[in-house]
Amino acid sequence: MLLFKGPRDQLLSPLQSVCGIVEKRHTLPILSNVLMEKDGEKLTLLATDIEIQITTQTPTIGADKAAMTVGARKLQDILRSLPESAEVSLDLDDKRLQLKAGKSRFNLQTLPAEDFPRMSVADGQPTKLTVSQKQMKRLLALVQYAMAQQDIRYYLNGLLLVAKGSELRVVATDGHRLAYAAEVLPETPAPIEVILPRKTVLELSRQLSDNDDPLEITLTPTQARFNFGSIELVSKLIDGKFPDYERVIPQHHSKIIKLSREVLLHSLLRAAILTNEKFRGVRIVLAPSSLKIISSNAEQEEAQEEIEIDYNAEALDVGFNVTYLLDVLNNVSNENIELHLADANSSALFVLPGNETFKYVVMPMRI
Amino acid sequence: MTLPRRIAHLDMDAFYASVELLRYPDLRGQPVVIGGRLDQQPELQADGSRRYARLRDYVGRGVITTSTYEARALGVFSAMGVMKAAKLAPDAVLLPVDFDAYRLASRRFKAAAATIAPLIEDRGIDEIYIDLSELDGESVDLARRLKQAVKDATGLSCSIGIAPNKLLAKICSDLDKPDGVTLLTMADIPSRIWPLPVRKINGIGPKAGDKLATLGIATIGELAEVTPALLQANFGRSYAEWLHAAAHGIDERPVVTESEPRSISRETTFEHDLHPRHDRPQLSEIFTDLCRRVAADLERKGYLARTIGIKLRYEDFRTVTRDVTLPVATGDAATIRRAAGECLRRVPLEQRLRLLGVRAGSLCQRDAVGPEKGPTQAELPLTAD
Repeated sequence: MLLFKGPRDQLLSPLQSVCGIVEKRHTLPILSNVLMEKDGEKLTLLATDIEIQITTQTPTIGADKAAMTVGARKLQDILRSLPESAEVSLDLDDKRLQLKAGKSRFNLQTLPAEDFPRMSVADGQPTKLTVSQKQMKRLLALVQYAMAQQDIRYYLNGLLLVAKGSELRVVATDGHRLAYAAEVLPETPAPIEVILPRKTVLELSRQLSDNDDPLEITLTPTQARFNFGSIELVSKLIDGKFPDYERVIPQHHSKIIKLSREVLLHSLLRAAILTNEKFRGVRIVLAPSSLKIISSNAEQEEAQEEIEIDYNAEALDVGFNVTYLLDVLNNVSNENIELHLADANSSALFVLPGNETFKYVVMPMRI
Repeated sequence: MTLPRRIAHLDMDAFYASVELLRYPDLRGQPVVIGGRLDQQPELQADGSRRYARLRDYVGRGVITTSTYEARALGVFSAMGVMKAAKLAPDAVLLPVDFDAYRLASRRFKAAAATIAPLIEDRGIDEIYIDLSELDGESVDLARRLKQAVKDATGLSCSIGIAPNKLLAKICSDLDKPDGVTLLTMADIPSRIWPLPVRKINGIGPKAGDKLATLGIATIGELAEVTPALLQANFGRSYAEWLHAAAHGIDERPVVTESEPRSISRETTFEHDLHPRHDRPQLSEIFTDLCRRVAADLERKGYLARTIGIKLRYEDFRTVTRDVTLPVATGDAATIRRAAGECLRRVPLEQRLRLLGVRAGSLCQRDAVGPEKGPTQAELPLTAD
């Protein structure tokens, strides 16, 4: 039975959209497969790792119905290595899937569609909100680098998504630094807070386009659903209590410095070369009209950078992990940034001048 | 690397079995298998002779740890199930494993070798690499002295290979076993190394061996002939480069006399497969005990760990591992238990389990950490509301 017939990319691109989440090694062999369901002129592709499920559609021909699952990686490898202009057909013959393109022929094993695990739609009154894909992509980019990775505080291995008033907020922290970003929504949804798993965040940010097309977000207490273009991404949520981010963001740091983002970024990149590889510490030394960045490594080599600034308050010498500073400067796009400091034991706050929707807090390092 | 090196690989002959034969000399010349339980301890009879357990009487799930050359001749090798071995050699004697005795013999033979050549890399309980480059004397004499010292200290024989590097020395020690000495120079490679099957190279395992076989490469000589491009097309780049170098007998790895462990782990295979739900109390007790033992190992060896991992093997032999990284290094049993429990939440637990393991990785020296040493990153004051 014919499942699909059409140009290569009509199958390859939807396949690539769903297969990014397929794990290389999994305890359930069928999870390395992609589910394909043909219903008339519509072919639905679905992949899952039990935590996340991605579905998309692509056009095909014929009126019949059929379904099966086949190894996702192999199918993707075959399609990718065919010429871009190839016409591809998929034929299901009993339990074998035959792929034909020109003079190439591949016979693949399948597993029954009935055995494929699917995520059920979660109960509970959903909160729905809509933003543009571009807005969400930007929000994620502003904070995702601060997510923890394999932290024992499992609720930090993800991103807090909050609908509060007419704002959509995202927060990520690994315990050393915290990034916060917000976007104003056209309407006010029901308030809700959920923690998206790290993998979901990375996958979503990979797949969203940089355009004004809508992204519909449906949240329940246990599940998040994202619909954009022809893609539906459903994710389980992290069940846990995210820390109180508002308490961590300092309000009254008195030493405020305005800097060109690029100037600071490049000075830090140079100073980073001579930091201790393990600790990556740099000293930020403030004096009237001057901000110095000083680093040294285990071999006692030293770097010093100086930036002229508009500053007249008392001197300060405070250490930071340079990676945490580079992260924020690399992920915001504004021309200028503001650095708020208090003393050598307090956090530093990065904000964008005249903008309340982005905050980055980083704790110092005692060097 | 301009100085030609001279590296020896010393491999004890059928180590565990030989230690046992020292204790039970009456078993010499017989097929003997080690892998039994404590209740298979030989019994001393009234007439002074011993009664040994035989393979044919064995019932259980044990795996053979090692066997004597006589048992190997019957097709009985390490890692084989004892019940399966009983079919091949029903009359073979079965002895319980006594790691304490093997460890003692291991310490003795290494100390004996060190009196002759001090630069020794410890490769496990029954083998060492020795760097002889700086020593005077003919290789063959050094080998003879090493063997004699090992024999005097332990009563055991060993086989020694001496070559310009570790890779070749390891292949050599296996060429004339037991009780052999093999010397090899780079010029001998075509005649003596190339005819050998590729699997003789330490680092070409069953998978790579099979893959090479499908490419029509059976011997090391055939491997040496193929172009690096063909290998790169079939293996990863670095492995392909290594294969090419290995086939030509090239290996620059130094003899490493001091090594820091990468991880410390404890695992246990159960008597019977255990179910995560029905046998939960028992499993939980084993799990906690493993964590305690890992913590004790860390303490004894003076390390703290930053990553804690678990390993599960299901009844169908599939194995999964999960890791978690801690904010600060720990050696504390309760912290390890909590972290390992966190990992356990991330694996499916529908099937019965046959093995459970706990691993501590990213190790650092206990005295190297502390608030005074090195920079310290401050933590955000995170609280839930």
